[in-house]
Amino acid sequence: MKAIITVLMLFCAALSAEEMLQFRSDAERQLFHQLTAELRCPQCQNQNIADSNAIVAVDMRQKTYELVRQGQDRQQVLDYMINRYGDFVHYQPPLNRYTVWLWLTPVLLLLLLLGIGVYRRASQQANANTAADDGSDSAELDKLIARYRSKKP
Amino acid sequence: MRKVLFYIPLSLFLLLTLFLLSGLFSDPRERDSAVINKPLPAFALADLMQPEHIWTPEKLAGEVFLLNVWGTWCPTCNAELAYLAELRAQGVKIVGLYYELPRDPTFDAPFDLATLQQDVTQKLAQQGDPYQFNILDLQRTLSLDLGVSGAPETFIIDANGIVRAHHIGDINPMVWRGKLAAVYQQWSKP
Repeated sequence: MKAIITVLMLFCAALSAEEMLQFRSDAERQLFHQLTAELRCPQCQNQNIADSNAIVAVDMRQKTYELVRQGQDRQQVLDYMINRYGDFVHYQPPLNRYTVWLWLTPVLLLLLLLGIGVYRRASQQANANTAADDGSDSAELDKLIARYRSKKP
Repeated sequence: MRKVLFYIPLSLFLLLTLFLLSGLFSDPRERDSAVINKPLPAFALADLMQPEHIWTPEKLAGEVFLLNVWGTWCPTCNAELAYLAELRAQGVKIVGLYYELPRDPTFDAPFDLATLQQDVTQKLAQQGDPYQFNILDLQRTLSLDLGVSGAPETFIIDANGIVRAHHIGDINPMVWRGKLAAVYQQWSKP
């Protein structure tokens, strides 16, 4: 009986070992994990292919594994997938005329805000200057001084 | 000047509202295809019904046709069969690319061509048969090369074997008239 159980357990271990992917080095394994984390499943919105079990994600994972085993580097595998599924499939969008606004908009808004701030400050200062220049304040001051002096003797 | 300053945030707000509003009516599944205006990738795949016949891109060239990715396991594909059969009756050449599901070695029965052929024959007899013939993509290699994310998807291939359209989802009268018919006609002109 014990022998049968042992054999069964060994058999299970062999089966699960087959499921595990074999890599030649840790660098290769790391590259595979990095790629499956940054490639996006085209079928299920917003899951990477490591996360998803959609048919296409399973196929892409398998293909990634094959390409990594062939010794291709990160960019080569990414290009392979982007050539077939488009930029959609990579979680880091490239810089082009559509995506450049993601970076430009905050800068432009900041510049706009600064411009408005500078403009308001300048107009406030201009107001203050014109108020001082029109002479009504100093005239009033002269009048007050004169009144104070006339009371003194 | 104060009036202008008042209208700047208002117009920004209105622009943002319009942008977000347009998002409500956009299809999140729609994405640009990466294979348009590229030739069919190289492949050598067996015919589903006559496995001794091997299809290659060269054998498919000559006239414009629809390449329809489908499977009997896919309900949406089954639903579009009737309309595709109608298109075939109108003279549109449609080739099926059979998208076979992967099999789990532990739980699923091994692949059996005869069972699949029987399954397909039965399904097409039920729903209508739009296909001139079917190409069996058992390992989904051609599908991967074409950027297929699932079934159904349809490509329009011109007479020189260049992909001219890639539609994700089913084909119904609205999609055909609004999107694909024009491309098909454009490339079927001699």
